[in-house]
Amino acid sequence: MKKYLLSAITVLSLGALSPLVAQTPSDAIMMKKNEACFALIYDQGKWDQYWEGTTLITNENIGTFTRSTYAVMVAYGITDKLNVLLTTPYVKTKSSGGQLAGVQGFQDINIGVKYEVIKKDFGKHRVSSLAVAQFGTPMTNYLSDYMPYSLGLGTQELTGRVIGQYEFNKMIYVRASAAYLWRGQTEVERPYYYANGSYYTTFMDVPNAVNYQAIVGGWALKHSLRVEATYVVLNSVSGDDIRTWNMGQPTNKMESTQAGFFAQYYFKDIKPLKGFSLMAAYSQVLEGRNVGKSTNVSGGVTYQFTF
Amino acid sequence: MNIKKILTGSFSLILIVTSVTSCENDLPTNFPFTAYEFSDLDMDGGNWQPILFASGSRIVIDAPSAVNSSEYQTELAALKSASQNLSGSQVNAVDYWTNNPAIRWNEIALELAAKYNLIPPPNPDGTYTLPTPANPQGPPLFPFAHPPYTSRMLAYLSVAQFDGLIAAWYYKYEYNRPAPYVTDNSISYAYKKNALPSYPSEGAVIAIASRDILKAMFPLEHDYINAKAEEHLNSLMWSGSNTTSDIEAGKAIGTAVKTAALARASTDKMSAAQAPKPVSDAIKKSAFDRFGWAWDNMESPVRPVGLTPLFGQVTMWNVTNILDVRPVPPPAPGSVEFERDAEELKGFAKSVTDKQRKIANWWSDGLGTYTPPGHWNRRTKEYIIKYEMNPLRTARTFAYLNMAIMDAGIACWDAKYYYHFPRPIQTINGFKTIIGTPNFPSYTSGHSAFSGAAAEVVAYIFPAEAQVARDWALEAAESRIYAGIHYRFDSEVGIEQGKKVAKYTIDKAKLDGAD
Repeated sequence: MKKYLLSAITVLSLGALSPLVAQTPSDAIMMKKNEACFALIYDQGKWDQYWEGTTLITNENIGTFTRSTYAVMVAYGITDKLNVLLTTPYVKTKSSGGQLAGVQGFQDINIGVKYEVIKKDFGKHRVSSLAVAQFGTPMTNYLSDYMPYSLGLGTQELTGRVIGQYEFNKMIYVRASAAYLWRGQTEVERPYYYANGSYYTTFMDVPNAVNYQAIVGGWALKHSLRVEATYVVLNSVSGDDIRTWNMGQPTNKMESTQAGFFAQYYFKDIKPLKGFSLMAAYSQVLEGRNVGKSTNVSGGVTYQFTF
Repeated sequence: MNIKKILTGSFSLILIVTSVTSCENDLPTNFPFTAYEFSDLDMDGGNWQPILFASGSRIVIDAPSAVNSSEYQTELAALKSASQNLSGSQVNAVDYWTNNPAIRWNEIALELAAKYNLIPPPNPDGTYTLPTPANPQGPPLFPFAHPPYTSRMLAYLSVAQFDGLIAAWYYKYEYNRPAPYVTDNSISYAYKKNALPSYPSEGAVIAIASRDILKAMFPLEHDYINAKAEEHLNSLMWSGSNTTSDIEAGKAIGTAVKTAALARASTDKMSAAQAPKPVSDAIKKSAFDRFGWAWDNMESPVRPVGLTPLFGQVTMWNVTNILDVRPVPPPAPGSVEFERDAEELKGFAKSVTDKQRKIANWWSDGLGTYTPPGHWNRRTKEYIIKYEMNPLRTARTFAYLNMAIMDAGIACWDAKYYYHFPRPIQTINGFKTIIGTPNFPSYTSGHSAFSGAAAEVVAYIFPAEAQVARDWALEAAESRIYAGIHYRFDSEVGIEQGKKVAKYTIDKAKLDGAD
């Protein structure tokens, strides 16, 4: 049976000051034709320090910041080589310090297509390469201009991603992916803002971003368990810095470098649970700019079946 | 793999990228307007009553050389050459400054306010360092362009511009030197032609007065401000507006008015407004002894002193006795009246509508922005352009607007620290807000007082806009309640206080000869 893995979980956990950005599954596994996979994921990111520009600071008026994300994901195989993916996160934010109210609500809906360009076996080794395009747009009129509490960036986003993977002996694999995120504008609720100069408008340009991922993974327990070490970079390509003791805003140049672990266990041999899997992830933001130094813990369950 | 498929795929990708990016508007960084024909020239403007001078003629400007003198002919030749074959950046400068450059200087002032409206952060040991003009680099940077600071900055800027233009108008019609393009019709003029005499240059008055007031207010921005002024002065020749002697005479007036304005500023007691802790503590204690309540800063670490406790003692422009505009005491915490308004706040905290949230944010004008006084300058600017005011009437509008706004701020701050009333986050347990609560007492609401005053001046100057302006003021006052940072009584009394203060300024304006 073809397994389906949602390494999107590591991307989901980028939370912090940067909202969910790329729910695109960035792994190398495809659903077969008429196969579907449902996933429920919970992710919690916490931080008590953030980067004001490039300076890491603490702010007791925020205290510990918590961003909780509940996401439903659906993947479906149109053909063996073409999958569609859908994600809808529900986000909840709060802080332990200060008096600013947290918010909650549906964030963005993301629709993606994934195409397997190359899959070639060399004896026990396999090379694969995939391309993913994904489009996201806000589901509600949440206020993006309420950092760090805002649910998301409040803008349309188009992601183009390429993935390459090499699997040795069907046991160990390395995978890399690179993506470019085109982002539009977000409409805010104030008629003027400062972003290295005056802006007399309610629109903000949200900087485009690049996303790189490097993963080393392996299979164990007769291909029932898979573990990965992840390294994820998500950087805006332009933007301004949070100013001294000021709130962030969607125009900021947000950067984060995150390392983590991921594990997924497939109930292959336990009859009533066949088709189910459990997954868990942990990650830590190591370096950043205008984002929280977030530690994320996630868990989820997937169910896979054929129509 | 199928080439056609790839092509189709790439094509759809391009379409989506285009649709994501094509809804991007070009974002305006200043108010989009071009030079316009003035609705009136106010030929008697030289006889209007200035603010800081007994009359416009008190600033002495010598008569210019005759238009047929060789001296002036040489100037005209220089102007002709300077206004020809402009480079792209020179054309842009001419377009940017327009024939009403006070608008641009007001925008520059607002931008600097937004740039410097940053509250000092705590030090690692939990103490706070105050910004000081003695060490503007800090950290923290000087100034902290909070609403009182910004209201004062805008008042001095606008008053200096106004007084300078009265003097300029006086000599324009005293000496009646025609515009260069009238004397020499081979000189081209970039803006709308009119019959305004060109000596002294009104643009040069505004450039120098604005440059020097803003440099005094923003000591770290001298290079930026000098460059703006230089470009503005150059644009007077690039546009064919003024010859050298027009500009020099204008500069002399600009220097005279900025000197008078900064002399007033140096003795208006603003430098003592950020009281030291013992004074601040004494103010708090007398309020507690008098009323049984006191405001506390709720930040962590606690800020030892609120924002400018003695701004209420700064010299007012048009109100002689501040006690005349001090409101009645607010309802005591625990009283029926108080509880009613506190309950209302809890209701908004529980469920604010999208419309209410938008109003709260629209008028938030908090840290990092041009402040409530800046917001009203921006709206007023739009009316100035809509009604095609000339530079003199523009300066008059900003001067009375900003005097009224600053006086309203002083009166409001007097009430804030006299009554020392706690904010909702202090009186309501566990209360949360959707914009940050500022570092000063609650009663009366600053935005309400600023807005109440500003709307009255707008209503006086633009009667057709009176209703809209007053509705805005009420919306601004209401916005603080939706945001959770003020009780309804703060806002309602603040509006009334602002209106009351503005009346003093408007009564004065009615007598200055412009109506």
